Formats: sequence, C-alpha cells, structure tokens
Amino acid sequence: MSADGLQAAAVPVEDSRRVMLELRNVSHSFHARKDSFEHGVHKVLDGVSLKVMEGETLGIIGRNGAGKTTMLRLMAGIFAPTSGEILRHPGANCSLLSLGLGFQPQLSGRDNALLSAMLRGYSRREAEACLEDIREFSELGQSFDEPVKTYSSGMNARLGFTTALLTKVDILLIDEVLSVGDAQFRQKAEEAMRDRISGGRTAVFVSHAEGQVKKLCGRVIWIEDGLVRAEGDPEQVLRQYRPPPAPAAGGGSPPRPGSGPPGHRG
Amino acid sequence: MNLTQYISLVDTMARMSLKADASRYFFGYIWWVLEPLLYVLVFYVVFELILQNRKEDFLVFLMVGKLTFIWFTKSVNQSARSIVNSGGLISKANVSKTLFPLATVQEGLYKQLSVFLLLLVVLLGNGYAITSAWVWLIPLVVVNYIVIVACSLVSAFLVSMVFDFIVMVSLGTIFLLFVSGIFWDPRDLADPAATDLILLLNPLAFVIDAYRQILMAGVAPDAWHLLGIGAGFGLLALGMVLVLRRSSQFIALKVLTS
Repeated sequence: MSADGLQAAAVPVEDSRRVMLELRNVSHSFHARKDSFEHGVHKVLDGVSLKVMEGETLGIIGRNGAGKTTMLRLMAGIFAPTSGEILRHPGANCSLLSLGLGFQPQLSGRDNALLSAMLRGYSRREAEACLEDIREFSELGQSFDEPVKTYSSGMNARLGFTTALLTKVDILLIDEVLSVGDAQFRQKAEEAMRDRISGGRTAVFVSHAEGQVKKLCGRVIWIEDGLVRAEGDPEQVLRQYRPPPAPAAGGGSPPRPGSGPPGHRG
Repeated sequence: MNLTQYISLVDTMARMSLKADASRYFFGYIWWVLEPLLYVLVFYVVFELILQNRKEDFLVFLMVGKLTFIWFTKSVNQSARSIVNSGGLISKANVSKTLFPLATVQEGLYKQLSVFLLLLVVLLGNGYAITSAWVWLIPLVVVNYIVIVACSLVSAFLVSMVFDFIVMVSLGTIFLLFVSGIFWDPRDLADPAATDLILLLNPLAFVIDAYRQILMAGVAPDAWHLLGIGAGFGLLALGMVLVLRRSSQFIALKVLTS
C-alpha cells in the first residue's frame, strides 16, 4: 500500500520505459448538491484507462468540466475512484503542483512560503533553508516580509508559483499553472517548469494553451464528457481538438469541440 | 511525512493561524486574555449582581470554571468547521484530515497557556496559596487536553460528513455549559448521590471540579477517575484518527462536492 492508501501494485512492463502510473477503467461520480435540484449522480469520468510512462510528460486537454482536474485529483490520491483502479509504481509518489498551497492573506510572503513548503512535506529546517531562494526567484524583495493581502495579483502569482516549484515528487501533476505574472515572469516560469520536467521527471500536464502543450508534452490525451476521445502525438491530437468558441450572450450549452474520432474508453 | 514532521506542521499551522488571527484585530494578542475575561464578566454580572449568588468567593469559583470550560468549547466549536473550511487546501493536496482539527486544538492550547497564567495571578491575588496538590494540575491539564482532542476530532469528522451537525455541536456545548457546574457547584447539591452521579456521568464536570478542588481547596482529585477519563478519551481520539485516515478521500469528496 502506498502512503495515501491507494493500491500500488507492480505494473507490468510493456515497453522500454516503466509504467509509473496507470488508470484502469476508472470511473468517478458524486451525488449532486440537493439544493441544485439535481438529486442524481454526477458522473465525471467514465471508465478511463491510461498509462503514464517513466520520464514522459503527458498532456491532458479538454474543455472546462470535461474531467481533467478530477483526473489529476484522482492521480494525486485526493479522491478515490468510484470504480476501477489507480496503480502506481511501488514507492513512487505523486502530487499536484499547486499555486498558493495553504496561503493565508494576513500572513507575510515568508510565513506563507514556510507553511506551504511544510505542507509539501519539507521539515521546518528544510523549509527555512529554501526561503531566501524563494524570495530571490519570486522577485518580491522587501515585500516578501509584508502580508500577502497587500500584494498585487502578479506578486501573489509569483510567490505561489515559486513555492509550488518546491514540490518534491516522482510524478508531478501540473494544472494550468504557467499563466502567472507578467510576460517576463511567465517566460521565467516556463523555463523553470521545462527544467523541472526535462530532467527525466514524469509529469502530467493539464492546459488549455496549445503552445505550452506542444512545447512540454510528448503525448497528449483529449478528455471529453468523462471519456478519452483521442490519445497520441500532440500535433495530431491538438488538430482533432479545437477549443469551443465563447458561448453567446444569454447562455445555452457550449458546442462540442472538434470533430474528433468517436469516443472510446481509454 | 513522519511523525516529527507531522507534529512540527501542526505546531506551525497553529502558530501561523494565531499570527494571522491577531493581525485582524486592533488589540491583537490581548484578545487571548480579554475575551475570556469578558465572558467571566458577563456571567458575574448575571449570577452575582443580578441573581445575588450567595456562594463564597464566587468570582474565583466562576473564573476557574469558566476559563477552563471556554478552552473546551472554543476548541471543539472551531475544530468542528476546520475540515470544511479547508476546502482550498484539500482540493490541492492529499493531506491528512486530522491536521485541521489538531492544529485548531493546538492553537487553543497556546491561547489557554496565557489564560492559565492570568488565573494564577487572580488566585494568588485573592489569597490562595500554591499547595502540594497543585502537582495534580499536570495530569489534569493533560487529561483535559485529551478530552478536547477527542471531542474536536469527532465534531470535525461529523461536520465534514454532514454539515448539519454544526448545529448539534453548538447546541451540545451550550448543554454542557449548563450541566457541567460552571456557575453552580455540583458539591452544593442537597443529595450527595446526585453530586457523585453528575461527576461520574459528565467527564467535563469532573475535570472542572478537579481544577477547583486543586486550586481552591488544595485537594487532589480522584486519580483513578481521572485516569479513566484520560484512557477513555485517549482511545476515542486514537479511534477517530484511524477513522479520519481511512475516510480521508471520502471526506475530500464530501467537502469539495457538497
């Protein structure tokens, strides 16, 4: 058993690389809120199967509400699947790279960075040792010791991204974190992220930004209505997937994206 | 995360929360002592000045009872919401759900240390002497802390499962306020059997009475009774840690989707 209670069994080797993470026929659903008049079960993922190989960066694309974030939460062990199995390579840990983990606006950037690092598994001493690096990378200067509530959104994002970089895991799960700060910091963030995932680290990357997906990912999966709609080479899958146009004023359900192949279950 | 790291994280979360909390108020840390004193003042006005309580040294009697009772109620009430209020963090990381109530309890402990200091000053200022029985304060505070931990874990779990339990927790602490001998003395009851029954059935009444016995009468509490409460609630706390660990992912789903 892994530390978080999910089953972790030896995963069979099918190619030259090890399978670090595998979803086998995973479905996930929950009961909708009663006050929303939806008493039924809301199905987010429906029999999804996929593998993440050692050292690869797998991209996940799909429109809002397609189930991408839920899939990352299942991979991170935040949720357990309703049915199916999530298998990890024995000993491999897996967590979300999340901005502003545990941040409290009343606390200074320094205190928030310390707390955030400890929530990511650092000891207090290790976390304290990182603080000056965080201050430097985030370019916050003296503001690092001021309350986060006084920060601009850009400063907040810089601190959040820099502390998120501390995440020490074998399988890194990244959910839309690169669109942070101003253009200059965004470039620095992208470079830092590329360094993190180019060194043989296994990563799963969720994004709407086609450019980032093409640059960072070796393989892409398109999720739609809880099903895997397409899987394979980034160029090919992105061609099939086209982001939906902005919904017209007055609401209505968004049109289905793309004209990809018929849905299949992983 | 090993146990040392876990304890260090609980401690850091508690300290950071105290810091954040103090920064919200103009009087900052002074509220740690001021708020319990205002509670005592309200009770003093009602029971001593309006209802003309005849109990000797009622102010000290009330302070010992109320200041220790507030430690329990504030910790349990705040812990009850601690998991549901941490949805942001729970949505991002697979953290132990025991972290939130335990950090809240720890926060309460740090505040209570200053309240105990205030109580000491009041006792000495009112002519009470430190006696050998005060040694019993150590196991008593430990048992009181264990009771708070166990009840906080139970309330946090129940509220995370069904939020409506928050009403029951709040009502439960009001019920305990009336039946635990905060502003009345169980030892003043005409029937000694009724006193024994209240102290036996209500662990909080026993703990509050034990504080008064030690601090005001210089008498040691019933050690076996104290040990029994500590062991019982210790087992409950351990059981709740296991329940929270086993249902960690289900709690996350409940917190994030309901």
